[in-house]
Amino acid sequence: MLRVRDVTVRFGGIVALDGVSLDLNRGEILGLIGPNGAGKTTLFNCISGVIRPDQGSMFFEGRSLKFAPPHERARRGIARTFQNLQLWGSMTVQENLTVPMDALGGRNTFSDALHLPFSTYAERASSERARAILHVLELDDYARTLAGDLPAGIQRRVEIARALAGRPQLLLLDEPAAGLDARETGHLAELLHTVRERFHVSMLLVDHDMSLVLPVSDYVYVLDFGKVLAKGRPSAIQNDPKVIAAYLGDESSRESNKSHDVVAMPRRRDEAPLLEVTQLAAGYGHLEVIRDVNLTVRPGEVVACIGANGAGKTTTLRAISGMIRPRSGTVTFDGRDITGKTAEHISRQGLIHIPEGRGLFPNLSVEDTLRLVSNSIGKEPDLATAYRLFPKLKERRHQAVGTLSGGEQHMVALARAVLARPQLVMVDEMSQGLAPTVVRQLFDIIRMMRDEGIAVLIVEQFVDSALEVADRAYVFEHGTIGHSGSAAELRADRKLISGSYLGSAVDMVAASNGNGHHADPALMEVVSVKLPAKLKRALEERAEREGRPTGAVVMELLEGVKP
Amino acid sequence: MTWSSRLTVRVLLALLAFVVLARLPAGLDIGFQFDAALAVVWGFGILSLVLLTGYVGQVSLCQATFAGVGAYAAGMMVSTYHVSYLIAVAVAVFAAFALGVVVGLPALRLSGITLAIVTLGIALVFDRYVFQDAAFAWFTGGSGGWRVDGARMFGLQMDSSKHLLAAYVVLVGLFCLVALLMVNLHDSGAGRRFRAIRDSELAASTMGVNLTRYKLLAFGMSAAIAGLGGSFYPLVAGSVSPQPFWLFTSLQLAAIAVLMGVRYVPAAALGGVFMAFVPDVLTRFGHGNIGRYSYDISFDWFQIAVGVLLIIQLILMPDGVWGDLRGRIAHAAAHAKSAARAVAKGRVRVA
Repeated sequence: MLRVRDVTVRFGGIVALDGVSLDLNRGEILGLIGPNGAGKTTLFNCISGVIRPDQGSMFFEGRSLKFAPPHERARRGIARTFQNLQLWGSMTVQENLTVPMDALGGRNTFSDALHLPFSTYAERASSERARAILHVLELDDYARTLAGDLPAGIQRRVEIARALAGRPQLLLLDEPAAGLDARETGHLAELLHTVRERFHVSMLLVDHDMSLVLPVSDYVYVLDFGKVLAKGRPSAIQNDPKVIAAYLGDESSRESNKSHDVVAMPRRRDEAPLLEVTQLAAGYGHLEVIRDVNLTVRPGEVVACIGANGAGKTTTLRAISGMIRPRSGTVTFDGRDITGKTAEHISRQGLIHIPEGRGLFPNLSVEDTLRLVSNSIGKEPDLATAYRLFPKLKERRHQAVGTLSGGEQHMVALARAVLARPQLVMVDEMSQGLAPTVVRQLFDIIRMMRDEGIAVLIVEQFVDSALEVADRAYVFEHGTIGHSGSAAELRADRKLISGSYLGSAVDMVAASNGNGHHADPALMEVVSVKLPAKLKRALEERAEREGRPTGAVVMELLEGVKP
Repeated sequence: MTWSSRLTVRVLLALLAFVVLARLPAGLDIGFQFDAALAVVWGFGILSLVLLTGYVGQVSLCQATFAGVGAYAAGMMVSTYHVSYLIAVAVAVFAAFALGVVVGLPALRLSGITLAIVTLGIALVFDRYVFQDAAFAWFTGGSGGWRVDGARMFGLQMDSSKHLLAAYVVLVGLFCLVALLMVNLHDSGAGRRFRAIRDSELAASTMGVNLTRYKLLAFGMSAAIAGLGGSFYPLVAGSVSPQPFWLFTSLQLAAIAVLMGVRYVPAAALGGVFMAFVPDVLTRFGHGNIGRYSYDISFDWFQIAVGVLLIIQLILMPDGVWGDLRGRIAHAAAHAKSAARAVAKGRVRVA
């Protein structure tokens, strides 16, 4: 139905997609997973026509999509949702649905303005259909609400409804589970199956949350650094060592670096904490992203925050550094309460935040960028120190920062932070979009900073590398801290980490495959099993009678039939 | 409410507005009658911004240029080709529509501040090099402009000196008609596509809205509305000159549209009245004595007043004067309704 062949996309010097090929059959739900910056959304934009690939071809229903603008693709039956919600906020939910509907029929602006009978008839037909779609997606109550006023979770469902309104044959879903908790995610999985049955659509599903993708999909592609890393049935993917490595960092590098292990310094346990965060809550608009976050960083300590995407790591850093206002809770730094202070005030206290995307000025030279530090420390910085720590930057000091490679840019950001002589540096997603070798170099720099007596709080995707450097770590789950402990402990307890990363999908799929004696029956609430409706109903009734999850009943039955 | 009953209400409202507005200036002196007619001309200008900025979210700082093209085209048709004024208006509207589509071309790539600058440039070019250049004398009638005397429309004599009110009635009638069409458009399929472009172009294009077509259509229609108002200018003023359609008028139209509520059709009427009457009132009554103090408020104070009001409005009523008023009325109505329901159900007893 959809064939993608050797699609390559470059943004400037960065290769976002490198010869990606993909096949989707009619009626299939195809999962697309991969770490941040792997090119998933770029591929989506190519298929829906928002960006043009530099090379490669795409065919939909046997016809090339090469010269089709986005609205033409919608007409041919490709609809999509957006990761960063793109609903028409000032229109009601119902109006949102009718736009794609009558954009496809030949409606005429002048007959619309005159309310000719033809237009009025079409109007009635489309509002009928809108109601039907809203009913399936359990949105009946919101039909007359302005889309912009809805909470983010519901807006995501409205996005799906709007995409369905244009009678698509292929539905592209970009991170539909972002910001949903485990229960809502499970519900969404069921909903997607219902949608496929009712509207006869195929789906291409992108998500970080493996607990959604694996149970829902028929087939899964894994992207990493713009290439297809693996493809296969969900059960095969979840055991694929390459995939686990991409998600959890490079297994082999861990083995080779054994010598670095155990650098934890227990004496620091007694010192007064440098940064203390208690009961922190923060969010954007209607969405509360983090709640009850408690963490401490002691002087000269490296602390890592790990966890799945959308678990609230970045938001926590932002709330600490004053980029967003915390909703409740306190942040104490060096004995002073800095809750809700401005970012500028906090950075003067010696707490530097290197945000995702590094916060550099692309047109300034390296040297000028470093000199700017004089703004915050009140005198000319000692550039020699920076060049001693980062010899590579000395070679490039007259080059504009924007022309450096991603790794070098990060070095500039780190050098700038070091020059401000901070007590604590917070680094957000340092490794994003960088090759593993570069990432290793950057982690060496973090070690150097600790040796200089600077405490570091890092947020990382590469769990293994992060845990190697860190003394302690916090594991974020759904907006709060799930576990914490020394890095060595967490490294030993791999299941804990993979649990919060791969979601609980690993166990769940194992259970639905039939060899489920490892699975936790409580998790099985969200498994969607294909059964005749009668049988399913009987199972549900029995579960309700016995007051336990349906999954537990299925498990019991499965145990019974084992040889 | 069903579609047909809502439409009926709207048609009745438009008729009512026409009847009331057509009679209003009858008792005024000739100066204020001129202002009233001018108010409708500028009302069209602001209405064109309600469509372009309010509905479709595109910025334009050259709406007075469209009105000017309409005015000159009508003047040329009547003076050079001696056609009936009705045909002159049709030609003027078409000319403005065509120019609007051309101006819309950059909007396919640009948005926000860059688009504002480009349209500002277009206004500047027309102001300096078309309306005032000898090379375009065939279009502008040279430095003296076109003089329009004794024009007839629908068999009625209408010109600036003796039959101004007849021209005014026709203008108000057209305004009410276009306003009605605009309100209908807002809730129709095309209106939703326009608003979809305003809220998210990205989503609109991937949901099947042809951005090229609808953006150009919006610019064309907007320019046509401004041009329709402008085409009556020669009739109202008796002659056309570049001065009313210069760059600054475009800026003023944009400022007053935002001030009154750029998303709402009735705001165009408010804005037109404000733009035509306030400067005249200021020049007429702006000097005199209060006790021992004499004061003299010149016309220039109008610009300052607009600026200050705009700042106050953006802080206190971000949705514009009409938008805010409308919100309050709706709020009060909802309160009254729920109170009435409570009384009807006997939960609250009226003492």
